Amino acid sequence: MHIPDGFLSARVALGYAALSSLGLGVACYRLRAQRDRGASVLLGVSAAFVFAAQMVNFPVAAGTSGHLVGSALAGALLGLPGALIVMSAVIIMQCFVFADGGVFALGANVFNMGLVGCVVGFCCYRLLCGAAPSPTRRVAAVAFAGWCATLAGALSCAGQLSLSGAARLTVVLPAMLGVHALIGVGEAIISALVVASVLRFRPELLEIGGQGGLAIRPRTRAVWAGLGLSVAVAALLAPLAYVAPDGFSRVTQALGLAAGGKPHSLAPLSEYGVPGIASGVLATVLAGCVGTLLLFGSCWLLALALVPRPPRPSDTEPSGVPVESSG
Amino acid sequence: MSCVHRAPAGLKLGVSLALILGLAALPAQDSWWALVVLPALFAVAMLARLELKALLVRLALGAPFLLGVASLSLFQAHGLRESLGSFTKSAICLLTLQLLGSTTPMPELLHTLRRLHVPELLCEVIALLSRYFSLLTDEARRMRRARAGRTLRASRVRLWLALGNSLGLLFIRTVSRAERVQTAMRSRGGA
Repeated sequence: MHIPDGFLSARVALGYAALSSLGLGVACYRLRAQRDRGASVLLGVSAAFVFAAQMVNFPVAAGTSGHLVGSALAGALLGLPGALIVMSAVIIMQCFVFADGGVFALGANVFNMGLVGCVVGFCCYRLLCGAAPSPTRRVAAVAFAGWCATLAGALSCAGQLSLSGAARLTVVLPAMLGVHALIGVGEAIISALVVASVLRFRPELLEIGGQGGLAIRPRTRAVWAGLGLSVAVAALLAPLAYVAPDGFSRVTQALGLAAGGKPHSLAPLSEYGVPGIASGVLATVLAGCVGTLLLFGSCWLLALALVPRPPRPSDTEPSGVPVESSG
Repeated sequence: MSCVHRAPAGLKLGVSLALILGLAALPAQDSWWALVVLPALFAVAMLARLELKALLVRLALGAPFLLGVASLSLFQAHGLRESLGSFTKSAICLLTLQLLGSTTPMPELLHTLRRLHVPELLCEVIALLSRYFSLLTDEARRMRRARAGRTLRASRVRLWLALGNSLGLLFIRTVSRAERVQTAMRSRGGA
């Protein structure tokens, strides 16, 4: 998902760079408010962990292999602002030292894998976990959050490529989503395995992002959840809005974002019938919804398989949702 | 240390950013102009006494991904010309970035980032990352070797389980390492 240099137009690259620096600034500000030295040491060494974890390849199918991105995992382990800083540091380091992902596209890459990945991943995880999550629920939540974060990042990546005119949306959207739906399954499984083994050996570490030094206050939790959902919806709807240029430009005019994505590369699209494209995109979105539901079910099954059953026979396992965590 | 290595990091960063910006601004169909820069880049590589072979190998490792993204624009009006053009353009950008990365030591890059007013917390995290990533990568490699030694003929499911387990263990070791580092910093008078 690392976009190389030379594919994004200047407007798109600079716009997303501005967005990501805004997000990063907010994250730094929030962490500085509760600053102690331990936070930055933990974040730095955890960034090295994410870096090392990205180097471990897992077999996908027939000789090909994928690797972890880890934004949802970092979100679950470190909390949202911490995860955002960790992922950005990893992406910046990959760009400058290993030339992985372009320097001009750095803002877009930080946006896709950092901002979108962490916000979507963290908010999915938090919403699914609820107030007092059982181990099963945690594992299922992190698996599903990993898949969602991968797909959301791929969606926004496809949007950027088509906004800068590098590829047509009807081509790039199914290509990116198709590949990343598979990669996301690997991400989900690895994230679930990691959280399951952390839960088995040192379960208190999972509270770092919840109540420890990097905590977000419960009062603002709803705000973060709302923010995450709106980013997810925006990432989902941006390509659709782009297909219907009138609505999109009207929205940008209304918001005063004239410098946003000017649909000037839209000319080749208009010779195709918009209804055909719209129904194609609609079919993609529908298939995506069905696939998401199926995946959600498999995440639960995975979590049930991974987390050892508690010895008490009085548990109501079949319903899957622990009764005590509903309050 | 060649003269390219010794040149100030800010200068190198600025020049490569300007070059990449200029290349990115070229329209995809006329990006043959990007080839003009190639001799200059190779001259810089010679001047820095980089191994040409290693540079080309790293370029070849990045090429499949560039091809993948470039092939997405095949389906446009002037598809072939455009995707070939953007492939050329981005390959040269990649080469520039690799030159920058292999001739700029990390501390200098960090110093430049600080001078550009990147938030202090992010700079600290990047500094710690550049300090510890080789250690943790080595640790991951050791754990993988140990796992490979113990799961000689494991099924795929067992392999995945072992992989996830060792990554979880790596995170636990990471946290205890952070605690140790923090103790060491405190005992040496750090904050």
